[in-house]
Parts: sequence; structure tokens; C-alpha cells
Amino acid sequence: MISLRLTLGDVAAIAPLLILLLGSLAILLLESFYEKGARKYSAWFTATVMAIAFVAAYLAPTSTNELLTPWIRFDFMARFFTLLFLAIGFTTTLLAIPFFQRFESSRGEFHFLLIAAVMGLILVGDSADFLTLFIGLETLSLALYVLCGYMKKWSISQEASIKYFLTGALAAAFLLYGIALVYGAVGTTGFAALLPAYKGLDLVETRILFLTGISLVSIGLAFKAAVVPFHVWAPDVYEGATTPVTAFMAVGTKAGAFAAFAVIFIGALAGFNAQWNQWVSFASMVTLVYANFVALKQTQLRRFFAYSGISHAGFLLIPLVAGGEEAFDALAFYLIVYVAATLVAFAVLAFLDETQEGVMLKDLKGLFYRSPFLAGAFSFALLTLAGIPPTAGFLAKFFVLSLAFEAGYYALVIVALLMTIVAAFYYLRIVAVMFSELPEEATPLKRAAPALVIACCSLLVLVVISLYPDQLLDLLGP
Amino acid sequence: MNFLPLLLILPFILAGIFWLAPKISSHAFRWMALLCSLLPLLVLIMNHDQAVGAELNYPWFSAVPIAFHAKVDALSLLFLYLTALIVFFSICSVDDKVLAAPKFFYFLVFLLEGLLFLFFTMRDLVFFTIFWEAMLLPLYFLINVWGGHKREAASLKFLIYMIAGSALLVFAVLTLYLAGGKTFDIDQLAAVTSSLTFAPIACAIFLLAFAVKTPLFPFHGWLPDAYCQASTPATILLAGILSKAGIYGIFRIGFELFPLLLKEWSPVLLALSIAGVFYGGLSAWMQHDFKRLIAYSSFSHVNFILVGLFVWDATARTGALLQVFNHGITITALFLVAGWLEQRLQTTSLLNVSGLTQFLPHLSWLTLFFVLASVALPGTNNFVGELLILYGLFVTDPWVAGGLALSVILSVIYMLRWMQKMYFEGPTFFQEKWVDIGGREMAIAAPLIALVLWVGIYPNPLINAVKPVIVAFQSDLVQSQGHSLSKELP
Repeated sequence: MISLRLTLGDVAAIAPLLILLLGSLAILLLESFYEKGARKYSAWFTATVMAIAFVAAYLAPTSTNELLTPWIRFDFMARFFTLLFLAIGFTTTLLAIPFFQRFESSRGEFHFLLIAAVMGLILVGDSADFLTLFIGLETLSLALYVLCGYMKKWSISQEASIKYFLTGALAAAFLLYGIALVYGAVGTTGFAALLPAYKGLDLVETRILFLTGISLVSIGLAFKAAVVPFHVWAPDVYEGATTPVTAFMAVGTKAGAFAAFAVIFIGALAGFNAQWNQWVSFASMVTLVYANFVALKQTQLRRFFAYSGISHAGFLLIPLVAGGEEAFDALAFYLIVYVAATLVAFAVLAFLDETQEGVMLKDLKGLFYRSPFLAGAFSFALLTLAGIPPTAGFLAKFFVLSLAFEAGYYALVIVALLMTIVAAFYYLRIVAVMFSELPEEATPLKRAAPALVIACCSLLVLVVISLYPDQLLDLLGP
Repeated sequence: MNFLPLLLILPFILAGIFWLAPKISSHAFRWMALLCSLLPLLVLIMNHDQAVGAELNYPWFSAVPIAFHAKVDALSLLFLYLTALIVFFSICSVDDKVLAAPKFFYFLVFLLEGLLFLFFTMRDLVFFTIFWEAMLLPLYFLINVWGGHKREAASLKFLIYMIAGSALLVFAVLTLYLAGGKTFDIDQLAAVTSSLTFAPIACAIFLLAFAVKTPLFPFHGWLPDAYCQASTPATILLAGILSKAGIYGIFRIGFELFPLLLKEWSPVLLALSIAGVFYGGLSAWMQHDFKRLIAYSSFSHVNFILVGLFVWDATARTGALLQVFNHGITITALFLVAGWLEQRLQTTSLLNVSGLTQFLPHLSWLTLFFVLASVALPGTNNFVGELLILYGLFVTDPWVAGGLALSVILSVIYMLRWMQKMYFEGPTFFQEKWVDIGGREMAIAAPLIALVLWVGIYPNPLINAVKPVIVAFQSDLVQSQGHSLSKELP
């Protein structure tokens, strides 16, 4: 008999989600009844909520209650993603503070939407069923559609928002249709039963149905992850959204899409069909080549980070291709390094952001002479993203590639390595601009103390990872 | 007590000190840097007797078994000394009146020194690769921030060449890792590499990386621009140590992991090196810019060292190791005096000035001394090394040796042409800035002169120091001959 009661332990197990839910509602109420207070305190309130949820997630017990387990997992993968997404939410909140000091806009809704997006992300990472996964992705997407167009009077934001909404809706349709087909083939949407059910399929027709469904699901997720050729929305949306939202999309949405990939293809359906791996390896190569070459020409930095993000999506696909026991470790390792480095970069951009066009390459001219620390931090982040040793980016790439090599995807490894030459070129071009040219005008840098905190913390994370990578792996493990 | 941790950490501590140092005058920074750069040298000298064999080994990453494994052998020690010496001289060559952002400059120099120390002691293939690539970054900044007018293009070209040369290194490392029984330890890999089917690919990839950095002809496209656009201290670091890193790589990876393959390929590599010697020499002859001239002469001499490596003869290899040290000293000295000349002339062109001996007699004689050392006058250091290489080549193939000996004449031609034009022809009008070098410059040059003469007149200590490398090589040679004999005999 199924017990219909939630014990205190079960509530504690899902406490991060509950805390976020309550926090987001509280902030909506605050905005409605006391707008002046919302203006002042909502950011700090949100940061506190995220921090409390983070601690709760760290301490959370696992639950075996059958009311929860069909929908939500409590394994180490879920825990890792929960903590990662909360950290991302926390940093985005802090990054948004200097932005709102410069651009006049209401605050309460922004933070409500941000918390909602983080909640969606956590649901994706924790999902034990296609339906929870879908709900999570939609919660995230709906919040992001609004966040993209948050600056109502910016025309590029409106364009970005509508573009994102249309492609996002298309992606959701793909995903949902795929889920329906999978359900039609195996009669379940739960992840735990998926692989045995697939193995038990005898008829060719149902197998084809299942594989078609999985392909559509993969395409739907590829939209979210901005994998070529499903990436077309990313550059325009990144360019049009405000800088803190772009930061959130660059790290949060990317991590969310790969969390979904990891949950399905590393967790539930590990190594179900070699052909899927072949196709993904092909997608990874195309993504790497396309994104790296197009990134060469970018001068608007938000747009640049869109292409940089797409190329990293190519790298993040590699552990999925390679599969095996260490695939999740490699993916998580790469994700952490990518997230930390990208956050450093966006924290530095927060100091330079002053118009709706965002930061251009020429704004970075001579940054070294204006602030050696910011230039150093930004360079370090770019070198990490480029994967140049001795930064942690090199180890992350090395780890990922060693898996692909072991699994026998030599062509993929070679393409990825050759693309690092191109990548080194465009990342270092930015570094060169900061160091060698004198600033065009000596405007003082904007003040952005919270961004400085983020930059320092993320830098610290990167340095610690470089020195003690093993300890990080231990933390990731079950 | 093991001194290795101290040696490996010390440069990073010094770099940190400069990063955090309060703003003091450029002059004070220079003195501070000079004294600091003596510390690693001091550590090396004080631990000279127990240096060989010092070892460190920590596991670092378990998912793929990477270990931080450092070990000093006779080969490493030679390069460690060279690094410590050249960093010292490079700081000596700094012109503190024009140096912008001195804090950041010295930070980068010590960072580079630390990375080089690590590179020259690593026994783990992954860390070898990491530090191999990491040493580029400080150099890139050194060229990019303090170089000449076209420094940005030059530094970017340098970096792209280097990264393109080593991009596939990871592939080679992974090949060896999987085929060699899942280990990155160079000593363990050495036992298995000769039997691998992938070995030629891996070896070629490594060789390409080393060839670009050394550079072996025809992978030198980055060299003239980088050497000329960099400031004097950076040029000294580039020519003095970076080119040696490639040679160290050929010794460490090439000769330890792929001895049979390299022996098979050595005729081609030898031909390329000889082509490089002549190409460099002829290009140097054609230059109208003395910094470019020295850059090409350095290229030519480095290829001479490579000749010594690929002759496959113990004497020639001794000579090559000697030349590693000698070339480091001589090229440092040449760029140093060229830097002083540039400071006075404010140009590196050969076209507009001549007959400087009248105005700068001391600088002129000093330059002449180092030029003669560079063209291997008997009694100077280069004579000993190049003679040994030529001797080894002569034993193997007298005709090629005869041909290569012509390059020595070539180097005399282009070097003395420079001396003739710049210093000894009819003088141009005197200019106010032409002040001759004084006691400070002489004090910097004195240890260089001493080193040149020491190796030139009494090279035995140095030859003995590198002997273990050669002995290992000879025993390999005997073994492989025995191996091939046993193959021929049924």
C-alpha cells in the first residue's frame, strides 16, 4: 500500500524547491504592496533565498517516499545540478544589482522570474520522469521569455524576446511530440523503466517509434542547448537581452539543457543505441567548426559569448558521445569550469556595461591600464575558456577528449583539437586588445561591488580546481 | 633535504612578490628583480651535488592517472642552470628608464622562469604538455606589451604558430596513454613505445611541436618578427631559453620515447637542419637591420645544434649539448650589446650610421668580442661545441661535414659585415646621445665574457656534467645495434 503522507524528512528532501517557491511568492507580494521596499531590498532578499536554498540542498536528506520518487530523483546527479543551479541563481542576482543601479526599471518581477527560472532548472536536474523534465524546462523558458524582454523600451530586447519565444515554442513542440511517441512505444514516461522497456521491444515498428521519439526529444533539447543547426536563436537573443540575463542564459540555460541531456542519456538511457552516439558526434563536430569560425568576426561581446557558448556546447556533447562510467564526471567537470569562467567574464562586463548596445570589443581597449585586476581576471577567464594550460580549462578539455579517444572517436578528437587553434585566436584577440591598446577615452569604470565579489569567488573556484581537481571529482561522486 | 620543492616554488613566490609589491621607482624595482633573480641560481649552486636524482611525485588527478612527477637528471640540470642564468641576464638588460609597468614585467619574467623550471623537470607527459604550452603566455605578454611598433601582429603570429604547432599534442599524448598501458609516466612509456603501431604518428606530432618552437627549418615563419619586435629582455628570453625548450623536448621525448623512429628519420631531419643553417646564414647576410641579422644568425646556430642531435653520434651529441649552453650565453650577449646600441641609436637599421668605433669604442670592442665568440673563433665557447659537432658529422659523412664547415665561413661573412658597416667604416656625424658604455654595462658583460672564455678554454667540467646523458645514449646505441644484429641473424 502506498503511504499518502509526507514525513518531515521528505519535506526536507525537497526543501530547496519549497524555499524557492515561497521566496518567489513573497517577492511578488512585496512588489505588489510595498514597491519602494521591493526596489531596495528585493535583490538582497532573493540572494538570501538562494543562499538558504543552497544550504538546504547541501544538507538535504534523500527520500524514498513513493509519492515523490516517480517524479523526482534524489541521487548524486540531482544533488549536483541543484547546487550548481542555485549557485548560478545566486551569482546572477548579484550581477543584476549593478545593472539596476544604472538602468531604471522595476525590480520585484525580475527577481520573481529569476527564482522561477532557477526552480525550473532544478526541476530539470532532479526529474525522474519526462513530464517533470518538461514542466521544469517550460517553467524555465516561460520565465526567460519575459526576462529577455524585460527592458520594455529597448527595441533589440523586444526582438530578442519574440525570437526566443517562437523558437522556444517550436522546441517545446518537438520535445513534447517526442515524449508522446516514446510513451506510445513503451507505455511509460518514467526514466527508470525506459531502458528495460526499450530492450524489451521486439517489433521493429515500436522500436522505430521509440527511436523517432528519442530523436525528437534530442532535437528539442538541442534547441535549448544551442547546438548547430538548432542554434539560430542564440546570438540574437544573447545580444538583445540585458547583460545579467545573458549571463544567466549563457550559464544557466546551457547547464539546464545539458542537465537534461545528462539525466536522459547518461542516467536513464546509457548506451542504448550506438547510432545515437554517432549522430551526436556529428552534431558536435558541426557545432565546433561552425561556432568557432563565426565567433572570429564578433565585436559585440554578448553576441560573442553566444558563439563562445555554442562552441562549448559542442565540447559538452563529447562526453555524451563517449558514454561510459566517467561521462558524467567529465560533463560536470567541464560544466563547472565553463560556468565559473563565464561568470568571471560577465562580472567584468558589469563594470563596463552602460548602454543598451552592451559592451563592444573597442570598449575593452586598454582595460589593463584602467584596471589591471579586471583585465587580469577577464584574461584568465578567456584563457580558461580557450582551454590554454595551465588553466583548469585545459584539464576539462583533456578529460573530455580522453573519454572520446578511449571510445574510439578519433575524428571528433582531432576536429576538437584543431578548433582550439581557432578558439585561441579569437579569445586571445580580446586579451590583446585589453593589454596593448590605450583606452580611447578615460571614463572611470562603473561601480559594481557585487560583481567584484562574484569575479573573485569564481576566480577562486577556478584556481582551486586547477590545483586540486581530484577533490572536486570526489565531491561530484555518489 | 630535498631542494626541489623550493626551487620549483621560488620563482612563483618571487612573481607573487612583484604582483603585490607597492609602487616604487622603476630603478628600485630593477635592483630588487636583479637580486631576486640570483636566488634560484643560488639555490641551484648550493645544491649542485645532490641535484641530480632529486624527485617529487604527487598524484594529481585520478580519473585519468595524471601525477605531478618532477625529477632532475643531468639533462634537466643543464637547462635549469641555463634558465636561471639567462633570466638573470635578461633582467640585467632592462632599460629602466623606458620600462612601462615594471611590476607586471618582472611578474611575467619570474612566472616564465617558474614555468620553465617545471617544464625542464616534468616526468609526466600531461604536465610536460601543460607547461610546454603554458610558457607561451608570459612570453606572449612580454612581446605584446613591451615590444616595438608592430608588436601586436608579431605576438599574435608567434602565439598562433605555437598553438597550431602543439594543438595535436593532446592527441599524441592520448595515443601513447591508451596504447602504452594507461600511464602518462615518461619512464614507463619509454619501455613500450617502440612496439606501438601508432608511434610514428605520435612521434611526428611531438616533433612538429618541438620543430616550431626551436625552430627547425622550415617552421621559422614567426621568428624574425617576434625576435625583432620584442624588447631586448624578451628577445633574450626567446632566443636564449625558448629555442632550447624545443631542443630539450627532442631530447626528453624524442630520444627517450622514440629513439628508433628518430634514428630512422634522422637523414631527413639532418637535411632540414643543414638547410636551416644555410638559410639562416644567407638571410642574415641580406639584412639591413642588425636585430634581424642577429635573429637570423641565432636561427642558423640553433639549426647547427639540431645537426648535432640528428647526426646520431656520441661526440656530435656532446657538442650539441655544449652548444645549447654556449648558444644561450652568446646570443644573450649579442642581443645585450645590440640592445645597448639600439638605446643609443634609437634605431636598428644598418643604413644610416657607420664608423661608431670613434664614438663608442668600448661598446665596439665588446661587440667585437661577442661577435667573434659567435663565429666560433678558437678559444671561445662556440668553437669547442661546433668543432665537436663537425667532428661527429665528419666521422659519419666527411662530405657533408665539409659542406657544413662552409657555414662557419658564412657566419663570419655576415657578422663581420655588420661590424664593418656599423663600427669601422668612415664615421657619420656625431650625435649627442652617443655616450659610450660605462662601468655598469661592463659589470653586466663581465660574467658573460668569463663564461665564454671558460667554456672556450677549459670545457671539461661542462663536458663531464653532460656525460651521463651521452653515456645513456651510447648504451642505447649499443643495445639497438645488438637488437638489429639479432634481427639479421636467424
